[in-house]
Amino acid sequence: MNKKSMGYVLGFTLLVCVFFGTAVATVHYSTLDMLRKNEALHRNRLICRAFLLDVEGESPEAYEEAIRRHIVISKVQDGAKQRTVYRRTDPGNEAVGFDFGGMGFWDRINGIVVLTPDLGQIVNIQFFDHKETPGLGARIEETWFTDQFKGLRIDWAKERDKRVIVGPSPDPNARNRVDAITGATQTSMALMAFLNAELDRIRQLEHE
Amino acid sequence: MAASPRQILQNGLWKENPIYRQVLGICSALAVTNLVANTLFMCFGVVFTVTLSNFTVSLLRNYIPIRVRMIVQVLIIASYVMMVDIIIKALAPDIHRFIGPYVGLIITNCIIMGRAEAFASQNKPLPSALDGLACGLGYSMVLLAIALVREPLGFGTLLGYPLPGRELWWHSWTIMVMPPGAFFMLGIATWIARAKVSKA
Repeated sequence: MNKKSMGYVLGFTLLVCVFFGTAVATVHYSTLDMLRKNEALHRNRLICRAFLLDVEGESPEAYEEAIRRHIVISKVQDGAKQRTVYRRTDPGNEAVGFDFGGMGFWDRINGIVVLTPDLGQIVNIQFFDHKETPGLGARIEETWFTDQFKGLRIDWAKERDKRVIVGPSPDPNARNRVDAITGATQTSMALMAFLNAELDRIRQLEHE
Repeated sequence: MAASPRQILQNGLWKENPIYRQVLGICSALAVTNLVANTLFMCFGVVFTVTLSNFTVSLLRNYIPIRVRMIVQVLIIASYVMMVDIIIKALAPDIHRFIGPYVGLIITNCIIMGRAEAFASQNKPLPSALDGLACGLGYSMVLLAIALVREPLGFGTLLGYPLPGRELWWHSWTIMVMPPGAFFMLGIATWIARAKVSKA
């Protein structure tokens, strides 16, 4: 057969595409169960971390048990979509958490924000997934960054997009401010914008 | 005359080492070498991809139409990279969250495309697979050497385990965790390899 003919080129390329496409799909489907379990473990681990729960061990069962014992998970209608709400009712450790998210620099960032029951302070914040630049914006998930949000005041008296400040502020010691990430100004600004928007929406939901 | 298996191995590992001789695959060499565990998974990805893609390209070399050969090579490489990506995601999700973007970039790693075009498309499948393996191991060797210095100096750990009594005698070098540390180490590794090892 003439290898230069259009029919051969198209036929060969199609065959290679089908063969390798099938191979990739087979590997994907054979690991689907593991991927689901990994995703559930990742999510549960971050929920426990966000609520500052003590977990006995590192196993998936340990995280599931900690959540089952301390947190009640429910859904509330938020416009056209549903938002997941997490409530911790242990006396002295009451807190309420919400799934939140928004557009980062490259793609959507999703996470959980845990607040005191009066919504006055952030207890903790964790990020489930993002596609920010590795080494720069991706550092939002690092402990030094998320730890800054522990106990952070939400200044409800301020205008909507300045209630929590990520980055510079006229008052560097403001109790509603955290440091931005050096070299990731766009990610920091995006986080500040959607975190404030989501906090505003969360307050409306809690008061409805 | 075709190279012997011994020569192919020597070339990939030492004489034509992809990192310090050909200066290829530097992006990932700089990006993932601050932790040994991340480096090991990246090396696994490159060795797996370059070996199998070389084997496959060689197997099909007499059938691939010349006009679309590079498209077909990229398709083969991309398929193997996607498989590696899925496997790492399933087996080591925490590591995948860190090196995931770089695993995807293996597709554009010059070492793999270079070996497919320069060696596999002109040689038989088994020598081609051996060439891929040797180049992958040569790449891994240099990356691991860099990671074995960067992680202890930068974090005070090795494979995540703290070095004994590190808080008593060691203050971590933050620069070793950051990209400049990788540049310094890569420069030193290249100098040592070129000045000492290659001459031997």
